[in-house]
Amino acid sequence: MLIQGRSLAKTYRLGQVDVAALRGVDVDVRPGEFVAITGPSGSGKSTLMHILGCLDTPTSGTYRLDGEDVSGLTGKRLAQVRNRKVGFVFQTFNLMPRLSVEENVALPLKYRGGIARGERRARALRLLERLGLAERVGHRPDELSGGERQRVAIARALVGEPAILMADEPTGNLDSASGAEVMRTFAELHGAGHTIVLVTHDPNVAARAQRVIQMSDGRVV
Amino acid sequence: MRRHWGQTVLSLLGLILGTASIVTVLALFGGQTALTEQFLNEVGGRGTIIVSDRDRSAHPGAQELASKRLTFKDAQFLRDRAGALAAVSPGWSQNLSYRVGNTSFDGQVIGTVPDYMAINDIKPLVGRYLSDLDVRHQARVAVLGWKYADSLYGVATRALGQLVSIGGKNYTVVGVMEREEFYFAAWEDNALEYRNERAYIPISTAIAQHSAVDHLDFLTLKGRPGVARGVAQAQVRSLLYARHGVEDFDIRASGQGAGGEAGQFLLLFNFIFLVVGVVSLITGGIVIANILLASVVERVREFGTRMALGATAGAIFAHVLAEVLVVTVIGGLLGLGLGTALTGVVAHFMQMPAVVSPFIAAIASTTALTVGLLAGIFPALRAARLSPVEALRYA
Repeated sequence: MLIQGRSLAKTYRLGQVDVAALRGVDVDVRPGEFVAITGPSGSGKSTLMHILGCLDTPTSGTYRLDGEDVSGLTGKRLAQVRNRKVGFVFQTFNLMPRLSVEENVALPLKYRGGIARGERRARALRLLERLGLAERVGHRPDELSGGERQRVAIARALVGEPAILMADEPTGNLDSASGAEVMRTFAELHGAGHTIVLVTHDPNVAARAQRVIQMSDGRVV
Repeated sequence: MRRHWGQTVLSLLGLILGTASIVTVLALFGGQTALTEQFLNEVGGRGTIIVSDRDRSAHPGAQELASKRLTFKDAQFLRDRAGALAAVSPGWSQNLSYRVGNTSFDGQVIGTVPDYMAINDIKPLVGRYLSDLDVRHQARVAVLGWKYADSLYGVATRALGQLVSIGGKNYTVVGVMEREEFYFAAWEDNALEYRNERAYIPISTAIAQHSAVDHLDFLTLKGRPGVARGVAQAQVRSLLYARHGVEDFDIRASGQGAGGEAGQFLLLFNFIFLVVGVVSLITGGIVIANILLASVVERVREFGTRMALGATAGAIFAHVLAEVLVVTVIGGLLGLGLGTALTGVVAHFMQMPAVVSPFIAAIASTTALTVGLLAGIFPALRAARLSPVEALRYA
């Protein structure tokens, strides 16, 4: 099992009251699966994704990622796990505006450390070619279309060869044509054996996944 | 930060002005120090030591009353015994009346020996200086300072070979000294004018003609090259103490207290500039810290993204600090340029020597860099402490 979450719970403190965002969730994802987490806003799907993506830790419960128990990790160790095991794709692309496409894609390798500049470049170029963005390497993000930006972000998520690709509403800021293009890319990556966890509230997007985890009120339904 | 270049440079003003002020102060101060050094060389170099009588105490003891004070014999004793000295020149000084024809005034007369010229690094303009023969024969010869020769004879060089009455006795002018000049600043008087207003006569003649006893007013000494002045002074002190049995003399370095007034003024001037520099740097630092803080807040989502990609808190901290470094280096370099220009302007209008040396540039840059980094630490810490989830959610 690539992802194994048991009784995951997350409680936030908002002023005087505790708000339970996650109320004991069990979740398993096998290698090579394409899973969609869906549900209305406030259902806890984002919180679940943050925990699965190691951006956050559960208040209680255990989470094993790629065989390693990461539920108790903090700070630097958690950052290292994110860097090696998880690739993120965001709704708003989150590319660095001042960096070129190639520099954006190579960024996770820079944070990994110990990889020479030439090697980082070569890996970034390889991925950009694979995603049909070879001609865009020297451009700045604002010179690209929305669909192209999201595919650059996907290349960035994949450059570190993570165990899992996490996408948070990846089509939310795209027109339908660009959205379809991005979803095609996910389908291709799934076909090539990548494990993908996608968070969306759009049933049409969720329908493209192999399996759907439906969330409501902090629980899987 | 990079999006608003003009704004950034403007807000760098504090840093620029601060660096510029520090550069200017140090350059002017350095020029002043060089000038003082030059003056000391002019009056005989740092190796010159002057010994003079100390004022008698109010209730002198027996030892003090018995002492003959500074004498020609002291000079001979030091010449024979003080190994740390290269030259010893006894000095006798009195105010006597000068007269040539109808022109007359009172002025300083110095009785001394040929060594005095070498020690004080002075040269005759025409004629010669005093000779050993003059001293041995109590010759009635005088060497005039430039100003006195000029006042007495209209043209300084015309004095040569003429007779001059000094203290009622006739002397033959055998030489006229070069005019000595030194200016600490354009508005200052000639700091060496006193040397142009005197005459030199043989010490033996002075004692024989103008005083009854063997008493000197000062001793001019030159330390051996390579011997520290303090060492030479200590030796002279112990030798003279042994002869006098009491410390009734003062030993000081030549040129001490010289240019005092000019120094005071410049000190104030430098102080004001230094305060301006430090205040500018501090305000500059606060402004930079504020801009950086705004820039960090503006880019919270960017830092969140970087964290999601695997940046550790340390990496984020270093990232922000590196940006400060870029800004500070730019501000520092502009300040260095402005400071160099300012130094040039001040040096030109105040006619003072001032040069921005690499050392000064290094000090100013280091200061600017330190201020910049201090200003960057808080914003960098702020960015590094963000939680990835909250940073990513930040609109």
